[in-house]
Amino acid sequence: MTRLFVDEYPGQARLVRAAFLNSFVALAIGATFGLIQAFHRTDIYRFLPSPDYYTVLTGHGVFLVISFVIFFLVGLFHWAITDSLGQRPSRAWLSWGWYGLMSLGTLIIAASILGGFMEEPPEVLGAPLSADVLFTFYAPLQANPLFYLGLIVFFAGTWLAGADWFRTWLTWKGEHPGKRIPLPAFMVLTTMIMWYLGSIGVIVSLVAFLVPWSFEVIPGVNPLLTRTLFWFFGHMVVYFWVLPAYLLWYNVLPTLSGGRLFSDPLARVVFILFVLLSTPVGIHHQYMDPGIAEGFKFVAMTNTMFLLLPSLLTAFTVVASMEHGARQRGGAGTFGWIRALPWKDPAFTGMALAGAVFAFGGFTGIVNAGMNINYLVHNTLWIPGHIHTQVGTATALSLMAGSYWLVPQLTGNRLVGRRIALFQVVTWFLGIVFMTNAMYRSGLFGVPRRTAEPQYSFEYDVGIGSMGELNAQIALGGTLLFVATVLFLGVMLLTVLNRDSEPLVDGTIPPALSGPEDSPRILDNLKLWAAIAIVLLVLAYALPLASVIQGGGLHGQDIRPYPVVLVDAVQHAGTILGVPIH
Amino acid sequence: MSRSGVARTIDHDEFDPIGTLALVVLYFVVLTVMWLFTYFVEFLGHGPTVVGLLPLG
Amino acid sequence: MRIHTYEKLWLAGSFVLIVGFIVTVTYGSVGLGIDMIGEEADGVSPDEISSDERFSEPRVEQVGENEYEVYVVAMTFIFQPDPIEVPANSEVTFYVTSRDVIHGFEVPGTNINSMAIPGQVAELTVEFDEPGTYGVICNEYCGPQHHTMEGSLVVTPEWEFSQTELEVDAPESVAQGDEIDLTATVSNGLLETHESTVNVTIGSQTTEQSITVDGESSENVSVTVDSDELGPGEHDWTVSVDDQEESGTITVGNETDTTESVPASVGTETVSVTMNPADPTRASRGVGYP
Repeated sequence: MTRLFVDEYPGQARLVRAAFLNSFVALAIGATFGLIQAFHRTDIYRFLPSPDYYTVLTGHGVFLVISFVIFFLVGLFHWAITDSLGQRPSRAWLSWGWYGLMSLGTLIIAASILGGFMEEPPEVLGAPLSADVLFTFYAPLQANPLFYLGLIVFFAGTWLAGADWFRTWLTWKGEHPGKRIPLPAFMVLTTMIMWYLGSIGVIVSLVAFLVPWSFEVIPGVNPLLTRTLFWFFGHMVVYFWVLPAYLLWYNVLPTLSGGRLFSDPLARVVFILFVLLSTPVGIHHQYMDPGIAEGFKFVAMTNTMFLLLPSLLTAFTVVASMEHGARQRGGAGTFGWIRALPWKDPAFTGMALAGAVFAFGGFTGIVNAGMNINYLVHNTLWIPGHIHTQVGTATALSLMAGSYWLVPQLTGNRLVGRRIALFQVVTWFLGIVFMTNAMYRSGLFGVPRRTAEPQYSFEYDVGIGSMGELNAQIALGGTLLFVATVLFLGVMLLTVLNRDSEPLVDGTIPPALSGPEDSPRILDNLKLWAAIAIVLLVLAYALPLASVIQGGGLHGQDIRPYPVVLVDAVQHAGTILGVPIH
Repeated sequence: MSRSGVARTIDHDEFDPIGTLALVVLYFVVLTVMWLFTYFVEFLGHGPTVVGLLPLG
Repeated sequence: MRIHTYEKLWLAGSFVLIVGFIVTVTYGSVGLGIDMIGEEADGVSPDEISSDERFSEPRVEQVGENEYEVYVVAMTFIFQPDPIEVPANSEVTFYVTSRDVIHGFEVPGTNINSMAIPGQVAELTVEFDEPGTYGVICNEYCGPQHHTMEGSLVVTPEWEFSQTELEVDAPESVAQGDEIDLTATVSNGLLETHESTVNVTIGSQTTEQSITVDGESSENVSVTVDSDELGPGEHDWTVSVDDQEESGTITVGNETDTTESVPASVGTETVSVTMNPADPTRASRGVGYP
């Protein structure tokens, strides 16, 4: 009755499954760490010494946004490219090569982070095995060199993955002259162009500065420079996390709704806008930084505000596609059609709820982008509130919902526990509503992010509600999210084991209502968009980077590394003497 | 499973996404109200705020 | 390209939103004068902090009528100075740098928020209209004890605010019958003339003197007491002015080993005149009363 990806491309299905396995293992660890944090921060239950909180926090960030999301992304993209082009990659070793590099990189990073839990971490490459530097690894906080090397290996893997998909596309293009790129493949290719351009910043930071510095080849770094290079990458990467969800919303959600994509041309425009605008905006993460002129910050702000456009367009196109499905299913009325949507389908409901959360999170992103209003929210709990509604739900929940649809096609097994799956997506939604609501409110009165103990000797001016109530919401939300993760992983495991069954899912994606033929061919000219993106990048970053280097030098002035490894020694000396350990 | 509930086929020219228009207009209003509240009440209402070197009135 | 009419409408609405957001923020900048932290202040490398005239001594300094500058050094895991004390109804410019790693400088409940980056100096000007007490926290992860990094900011009522320093020069012991000369040096760190009252208590005797100290200078107040009036033995003394207080003990004996009273001057180190408690009997040793 149906065509199954695993039957058509068994080799590719195996690779996608392998990538998903890595992704889900990382999700399990990252979610456990998240639960620990929710209880530690709020002082409801603490079983770790507070310095270890930062090891947990580093792991939570890296395992979830690097390992969980990006492994899922490469799996999804590999499926999308193969399925939409109908073309196998030409070299199996290349595909398994990038998978191997990414896995190796992840293992190296994981070892360097988890070493931080040891009482006395072993010496590796001349430094104790520890990397309590959080996901942003701002120098002069210094991790074990393995942390930086692992990241480089991981990035190399992702670049190779992109090369693999471009090769597949070029082969397809040669065999299908004059044909428009199918939409899923178009999304994969544009996303990877964005990734190539945006990740240059962090790769330069790692290769030219942080690795030589961690091996003491260069004496110091300019902290503002490595920070600026990180954020050159750091805002693009949030779109890299969100675009797999977009790919599912544009391609899968319409068919789950019983309809067709409303507009293929606008979907292409949206992805092109991400290629152009997602990188020359990174300075909006540095509004509070000294050493960067207000003018550059203003430019970053206007660019960021225009980056709302692709998301606002997506809101229309995706909702219209759902409405189309609902009306084909017999829905009527201005709002009544919403009831006709397939709310009992966990894949649909998960993605729809993820989209709703994303719409609210978009608002909080506007606040983050709003230059001077950043004084209100910068580095407060508002920011992780935003992150958890966006990558933590728009992405994570869409990927879980997408798994309910995709994993049966990758395994040939029927999804086990559809009702549990439906309960799972709703539980996640409720968890995120409780947790982020409390985070946003706490952030507005100044509770900081990234701290083991946000309890100080002064009292916060809470306004409506109380600190206890907010903490309870964070702990409750964190617990619901953890439960939802366990349920998701359980359903996945049972589905993989459910061998003697036929999937009920149809992998066919119907054509868009307004197809690619309604759009100019220039949209498919990837070289053109890449070239414009490079020009915009140079315009946005050449002057700020030059000014940062001029101000603080390439290698900084007398700025010493601060290895965050000797937890006990630093703890005592730092508290008593108030001096850094060099 | 996804297509089973489809009762009729609506093509591009028959489809009038009025529900979507209604939802996005609602979204427009909500965004505007929340933005104004956050900027003018939450932000400007919780000084002191960093200002340029203005003469003290 | 075929775009549905409603979607064109939404596209227009989106532009209105985007421009509206930019206009609001620009109004905040231009209309209300909300300034971003920029690159105005010269940087200082961590090694130069101890010799830098701005940061070698983290402090609050008056620079004009109702205008103050605060030089803040953040380091693992403290802020200097702590507490930061400024008067209400003032315009305060914070200069914030870091001695080691990247820190944050946030005053929760206000819009005072900045990064402290080693090598860089953040400059942010704030108007304090009302008195109040605030916490100061580091809001960027800076190491294993990050969560303990906390300071405080006290905005005192204008009339209570002073930058008075007090030094007292008093003999440790005098012979019975000699006069006790006690000199209090009151220095005023503000730019304006400061009026205050110096309270001196020696033993059971109390005196009070009004003083007027010019801006950035000091005045001496001398008190002379006849030791016969106090009688032999140990006598506590206390000098206070504004929020400053010094105290000590004078022993009146019949010996002649008096300490020479040296007039204090601005810039001399504060002499602690507390007697060594491990040797409380020193003055009464030796020759007894005739």
